[in-house]
Amino acid sequence: MRFTAILLLSFVCKVSALADARQEGERLFSLKVRLILSSKCFACHGEDAKKIKGELNLTSRAGLLKGGESEEPSLVPGKPLKSPLYLAATREHEDDWSVMPPKENDKLSATQLSALKRWVELGAPWPDAKTQARYIVEERAKPVTAEGVLLKTSGGLSEDWTYRRYKPEDVWAFQPLVKPNVPKGTANPIDAFINRKLKVAGFTSAPQADFRTLAKRAYYDLTGLPPTPFEIYQFRLAWDKNPAKAWSVLIDQLLASPHYGERWGQHWLDVARYADTGGYSNDYERSNAWRYRDYVIRAFNSDKPYNEFVIEQIAGDELWEKQPEEKRNPELLVAASFLRMGPWDPAMTLAPQARQIFIDDVVNSVGQTFLSTTMRCLKCHDHKFDPLPTRDYYRMYATFAGTQMAERPAPFLKVENRSGLVQKRAITQRLWNYAKTKYNELYQKQETAARKWYVEHGKEYLDDNARRKLPDEEKPPRHVGLSPEEQGRLKVRMGNEWIWKRRLERYEPMVQGVYNGPTPKSLNARSMRMPNKPGKKVLPVSHILLGGALEAPGEEVSPGVLSALAVPVSTTGPDPYVISDKLQGRRLALAKWIADPKNPLTARSIVNRVWQHHFGKPLAGNPNNFGAKGGKPTHPELLDWLAADFVEHGWKFKRLHRMIMSSATYRQNGSHPRLDKLRNTDPDNALFAYHPPRRLTAEEMRDSLLVSTGELNRALGGFPVMPEINMEVALQPRMIQFSLSPAYQPSRTPTERNRRTIYAYRVRGQADPFLELFNQPNPNNSCEERDSAAVTPQAFTLLNSEVTSDRAIALALRAEKEFDTLHLQVKRVVQLAFGRVPDKVEWERLKQYVTKMQGYHAKHQPEKVIYPKSIIRSLVEEFTGQPFEYEEILPVFENYVPDKKPADVNANTRALADLCLLLLNSNEFIYVY
Amino acid sequence: MFTDMNTASLRRRDFLYGLGSSLGAVAMTDLMAKEAAGPLAPKKPMHGPKAKAVIMLFMEGGPSQMDTFDPKPKLNAKHKAESKRSAGLATGFRFYVGSPFKSRKVGQSGLDMSDQWVHLPKVADELCNYRGCQAESLNHPEALFHMNTGSRLGGDPALGSWVNYGLGTINQNLPGYVVMSELALPQGGSRNWSNGFLPAHYQGTRLRPTGSPILDLHAPKHKTREHQRRALDELAFLNQRHAKKHPEHADLAARMESYELAYRMQAEVPGVIDLKKEPEHVREAYGMNKKETAEFGRQCLMARRMVEKGVRFVQIFSGGWDSHDYLERGHSSRIRSVDKPMTALIKDLKERGMLDDTLVIWTGEFGRTPDNNRRGGVYALGRGHNVDAMTMLMAGGGVKKGAIVGATDEIGAEAAEVVHPIRDLHVTLLHLLGLDDNKLTYFHGGRYKQLSQFGGQVIKELIA
Repeated sequence: MRFTAILLLSFVCKVSALADARQEGERLFSLKVRLILSSKCFACHGEDAKKIKGELNLTSRAGLLKGGESEEPSLVPGKPLKSPLYLAATREHEDDWSVMPPKENDKLSATQLSALKRWVELGAPWPDAKTQARYIVEERAKPVTAEGVLLKTSGGLSEDWTYRRYKPEDVWAFQPLVKPNVPKGTANPIDAFINRKLKVAGFTSAPQADFRTLAKRAYYDLTGLPPTPFEIYQFRLAWDKNPAKAWSVLIDQLLASPHYGERWGQHWLDVARYADTGGYSNDYERSNAWRYRDYVIRAFNSDKPYNEFVIEQIAGDELWEKQPEEKRNPELLVAASFLRMGPWDPAMTLAPQARQIFIDDVVNSVGQTFLSTTMRCLKCHDHKFDPLPTRDYYRMYATFAGTQMAERPAPFLKVENRSGLVQKRAITQRLWNYAKTKYNELYQKQETAARKWYVEHGKEYLDDNARRKLPDEEKPPRHVGLSPEEQGRLKVRMGNEWIWKRRLERYEPMVQGVYNGPTPKSLNARSMRMPNKPGKKVLPVSHILLGGALEAPGEEVSPGVLSALAVPVSTTGPDPYVISDKLQGRRLALAKWIADPKNPLTARSIVNRVWQHHFGKPLAGNPNNFGAKGGKPTHPELLDWLAADFVEHGWKFKRLHRMIMSSATYRQNGSHPRLDKLRNTDPDNALFAYHPPRRLTAEEMRDSLLVSTGELNRALGGFPVMPEINMEVALQPRMIQFSLSPAYQPSRTPTERNRRTIYAYRVRGQADPFLELFNQPNPNNSCEERDSAAVTPQAFTLLNSEVTSDRAIALALRAEKEFDTLHLQVKRVVQLAFGRVPDKVEWERLKQYVTKMQGYHAKHQPEKVIYPKSIIRSLVEEFTGQPFEYEEILPVFENYVPDKKPADVNANTRALADLCLLLLNSNEFIYVY
Repeated sequence: MFTDMNTASLRRRDFLYGLGSSLGAVAMTDLMAKEAAGPLAPKKPMHGPKAKAVIMLFMEGGPSQMDTFDPKPKLNAKHKAESKRSAGLATGFRFYVGSPFKSRKVGQSGLDMSDQWVHLPKVADELCNYRGCQAESLNHPEALFHMNTGSRLGGDPALGSWVNYGLGTINQNLPGYVVMSELALPQGGSRNWSNGFLPAHYQGTRLRPTGSPILDLHAPKHKTREHQRRALDELAFLNQRHAKKHPEHADLAARMESYELAYRMQAEVPGVIDLKKEPEHVREAYGMNKKETAEFGRQCLMARRMVEKGVRFVQIFSGGWDSHDYLERGHSSRIRSVDKPMTALIKDLKERGMLDDTLVIWTGEFGRTPDNNRRGGVYALGRGHNVDAMTMLMAGGGVKKGAIVGATDEIGAEAAEVVHPIRDLHVTLLHLLGLDDNKLTYFHGGRYKQLSQFGGQVIKELIA
């Protein structure tokens, strides 16, 4: 009896242990293993019955036990090390089981692996749906678990997504912005946060840089231009009296300089993707885009509060609509050009797709620009890592569903620089006339032949258009009277006529704008005008597009915003994240929501960008992506403090610059007394323990060359200017749809050409090779951070190009004009290039070099540079497959004022220019410390 | 994860720089060249490669499958009959267009070629004709971007950039990725060979057909090579003094080094592109003595020489294939211009024992439609853009020889067998080079990106 009792007891224990194991296994399956299988395996093993790989179906326990083409079961319950399912997932048994999932990036995490292993150990139970649901509901009731926190959103496509958990550190950016307390002990809040972390790491900040380094740093950071020797001298005088005061006065001066807006406007345009053309097939000019560029520069110069800046760019036209008619401010229409900055051309694209491309672009651009959120992932599915459901994507999509593109009338503002309009327009007009005349000659030739045909056939003449739809027998052959070459030319001239007509619009009071309304029937980037009569006010209907496909509309959605931020856009409706579906005001509601002080992404986003351009790297690693996969902030509290403070004090940039630049952190030296140690423990300088050097950006390089020679024309704003670019590239043909684009012609006079680079004509299909080489970003993509890799072609261009050679000669001529002796000339060019005088060793050696080169140049005569007044183009004609030629005129070179070339100056100047060229090539010129 | 050696190489450079300041720039760069490190240093492939280099002959505009390598007798029978096919952007009256060319079987393997190909049949048994690829974008620049960069948006890294990122370059004195085109750039311009988000070292270098082969490769004529050397020494003097003041700054050495590399490249590039030294019979074989083949012939011969010298990826763009009208004139002239040179290229590679590990690809950005709409109101005997079917040739580098892989439907409108999107083609090309698309990733904008965007599969049928 006792014996039996013991036996029974042991049996009960075993049963209860078994029951526990079963429960644990079922729970594990319901909460974890199920998701691992569905997210990592089902796509190839079961989801699509027609496309099952390796004959292995993993959507049921039976399927697992049956196995696939290996004819071995995939699962041996209780024995993970005998279960191919587990072995393949470990990726450590490749000889027997190919790694699964195949894609390295999809591999199971360590916790997923251990869950899978444990589940198999527990006998791999696969409970029925009802049991699974019970475990799931139980789990969802807990706000926080070891897996992380729940975040409430508008809901994903699946419940699993809606209730998935996030590690708090992955959703840092979505959390409300709360201003942290500043650590005690340091006056400047920035230093307080930075020093606290340095202290923990066992370091102190680097000592302050010397006055010259600081001056150069401040000038470049705030204006993108180097200080002149005189400006350095003035700063030194002030610094010697009172360094603190000198520094703060300098900052104020630079912030008040109109060049500040040019420099910081450039950062903004990098993100917004500014260009003067539309890209793709035709690359038509966006003739009035320059007005947006100038708007951005003015916004920075006038210290426009960032929240207003945001609202105007997203919904300027809607604000304008609301203004009384006599008081409407056209600048608001210009601001909304932001929405037109993406590349777009509907050629050969169906209208609905062309629309989708535009709206996708705008949604994505608004997301990454203002919210540091990459929206593109949500277009096809709920976000894999961030609390962003695809529903929110299509809510934002719906917000822009009625937004149409157009060149809108908008009177010029007094502040807009329109100098040179008459001369510039005359040249453009002449090129248009030329194309028109050439086209008409060919057209007339064709029609003369057509007339003859009609006479011969005893029919009455019908012009090209009138006869278009007639059957072939009733009209002359296409291109009658024209040789294949002439047919090619006809097409080129027609294309050119469009191009120049479009470019004439640069001078018109229009803006690359947007309006709300129905989508026009036909879309053509060549001309986008507002309809005279507003179309029927049909509200656009938007759906979730499954997989991003227009052909797969899912649930209908209303306009709205990102729900995970818990910032309502509406207080009246049933859903706080949905905007009223009236056609007008959708964007304004979105814009106000972005600019809401409670929106945690907006202020963090912009403050992070400002920090980045002062310290060479952002606090949070990816300024366009604050999601789980973006770089986490190194100093989250500092970022939050700066963001909260920024909002509290009216979203003002200049105040933020002052605060940053007056910190000891900003004023640090470029090196550190314990650099070797730091390199090992903090190779990325995440502690901000010293100030990292940076290479000049492409624009700073060119602008600095012009400052050193004294040639920079400091005028602000206006029509795009055409600097001299490599002439081979300028004149080389470029394919566009049906034709070739006309040659690039530089502006006529040095004064016109030597403007700051931000004003240079920016063509998507033809980059300035100099700027492109120094990493000016491709304007098709938003650029959060510039590359500065040193590649060999940079050396070719800086050493050998006319662009730099001309500047070297200009610098030499300047020094010769100012000083009589070689001794002083050498000193002067070093001073103008480096902002310091040469030391004795340098001075002597460089002088010797120039002397030697004087001898050399006396024996080597350069060739004269001749600018062509017209060129002969050659193109392969699609009709014939044969090349044909045509002439293109280059009127700008008829009375062109070139820069001084080697052949225009004497041997001594060329020798001094040799030295100048080296100075402009040197690292001291190109790096800021 | 695929790692590159940037950090390590920077450290190494620091160390070398310490030596370099006393040894002088030339000695230092010699060392660098011998024991090449840095972003372009040769790297081991991820698995056994079939090909070491790629020559891509890009027929810009979209060559027609049915008029080149994929004959469609059923289509010819429907010539000028009304087409009710709904495809792409086609609107209005459409009619079928039969091929103006006769097709015949060539080589032992019986590949199909239109009679316009006069020379290519000689190497037919080296070729693999793939008929299953499908594109996505109907317009040239987007389709070019897609074929070249894996994304139709333009701005992602080009195939050649990925390959150089994955394998590095063999000859440090030449660019690892070279692009040649006619004087006119293809639509979309240099975005077709840009490094995108990869570091700038991996961008394609365009060898220009006229003027300076690389922009500003040489100083103006009045500055001799000795003058340049003297200038570089003087520059090194300035830079070394500067570097002493900034020992903390690792980029300085790299930038100094780039000037020395530039100097060596100046010497090496003209040698590679100077075809005068090639024997007359070779120049003749490549068609360099005849106007219509001279340009493409010159480029093909340069491609062979560059691959011989260790360039990893060579791309030649040849335009004019966009025959919406006058197909007969257009395509026959285009075929004539490439037929002889590409035949010579394949033979030459074969004779030199280079074909086994050099992959030659001939493709456009998409194919063409079997039908056309009226243009200018008349029957235009040409073809529209077609993303559903196209044709390409491959040779060497581990692909099947004398084979036809995949098929299009009976009128050539749509791929029907071994159908794959462009991303699978890319994955296959990488695979042949010993690279795994899933591992060849680069972290950018918050995620690991890859050429195929989201992964793809190897087209096994193509592989020998």
